[in-house]
Amino acid sequence: MRTKLFTAGFAFVLVSACGSSSSSQAKNQSANVINGAAAVAAAKPLTKDQAHAVMHERHEGMEDVGKQNKVLRRELTASAPNLSVVRGATATIARHASEATHWFPAGTGPDLGKTGAKPEIWQKPQDFGVKLHNFQVAARALDAAAKAGDLNAIKARYADIGGTCKACHDSYRTDMHH
Amino acid sequence: MPKQRVWDLPVRLTHWLLAALIAFSWWSVKNDHVDWHIWSGIAILTLLLFRLMWGFVGSSTARFANFVRGPKHVVRYLRGDWRGIGHSPLGALSIVGLYLVTLTQVGLGLFNEDDDGLFAGPLANFLSPDTTDKIRDLHELNFKLLLGLVTLHVAAILYYRLVRGKKLTKPMITGRAATDASAGEMRPGKWWVAVICLTLAFAISRWVVAGAPLP
Repeated sequence: MRTKLFTAGFAFVLVSACGSSSSSQAKNQSANVINGAAAVAAAKPLTKDQAHAVMHERHEGMEDVGKQNKVLRRELTASAPNLSVVRGATATIARHASEATHWFPAGTGPDLGKTGAKPEIWQKPQDFGVKLHNFQVAARALDAAAKAGDLNAIKARYADIGGTCKACHDSYRTDMHH
Repeated sequence: MPKQRVWDLPVRLTHWLLAALIAFSWWSVKNDHVDWHIWSGIAILTLLLFRLMWGFVGSSTARFANFVRGPKHVVRYLRGDWRGIGHSPLGALSIVGLYLVTLTQVGLGLFNEDDDGLFAGPLANFLSPDTTDKIRDLHELNFKLLLGLVTLHVAAILYYRLVRGKKLTKPMITGRAATDASAGEMRPGKWWVAVICLTLAFAISRWVVAGAPLP
């Protein structure tokens, strides 16, 4: 069932990318997975400059997500976490997570330049889309928990988002030394 | 020549466990098992702490005071003028180098964290993310040094085996080697001293894993 839904979502993106319209029912059903799948389906080929710009934004964004994650761990393991620092970090992660929808268009892989993104991202767009989507959901949930302010809930959502980072990075990112 | 004891059990176990754990640390971090990598590093820390203590209160061939020698002795050894059991003055340089570089590696690892901030050494929270970024570079750089020393160590063993006809690996397994009777003999350590050293090493490692809390 899930697989079917994801396939439908991906097919929908491909179809809509070609300019066809699709039924609104399909759109509603698969709305959740469109974000992720859209991330890797480019409407039209990017110019080299555009692709480099995306790769740069992706690199800076991902680096910032990592840094905010470190800030979060320091706060959440401290004896008295500073909630405003926590909220700043979770908001930044949530913002980057939504930006990430546009971070993986086709043609921004290792063929073009130095990147930690593996070619598998564009070979298995469906699986990658699901994993990216999971990260985006977790980022929103973490930010919501931080705004609500319950420390135990924040810690639980913090653990969740770490799992989504690792799930994707284990398959789709190489070691990159900068 | 009659065979006699040259390496006690704690020295041999420390040696082979270190070799295995360094290999495992390398493999685990290359295969996305960072959690195993960190625990492997903690195990290495425990071994190094034990070996440090055993170097003061262990068997005669384990004690630093009995084998760490100055350049004069190294030169004399190279001229063939050395009688003794255990580490030669030249071999001692290799031991000290490997020990210090491995200790540095573990020390850096304690403060290290990965790009994503998903995995961190137990002391990483003491430093800012910008500082741990630099620690990560140093951890990778120092590993190259460690790998170089390990290569040199293995090359030296091969050289002694193939050119000088001296077997060094087997004594490190059995603890016994054919030695000149005039070279003296090994005085073993006491088993209960080894137990105390090991207990202390574990206690210190546990404290480090807990984030080195001050009372």
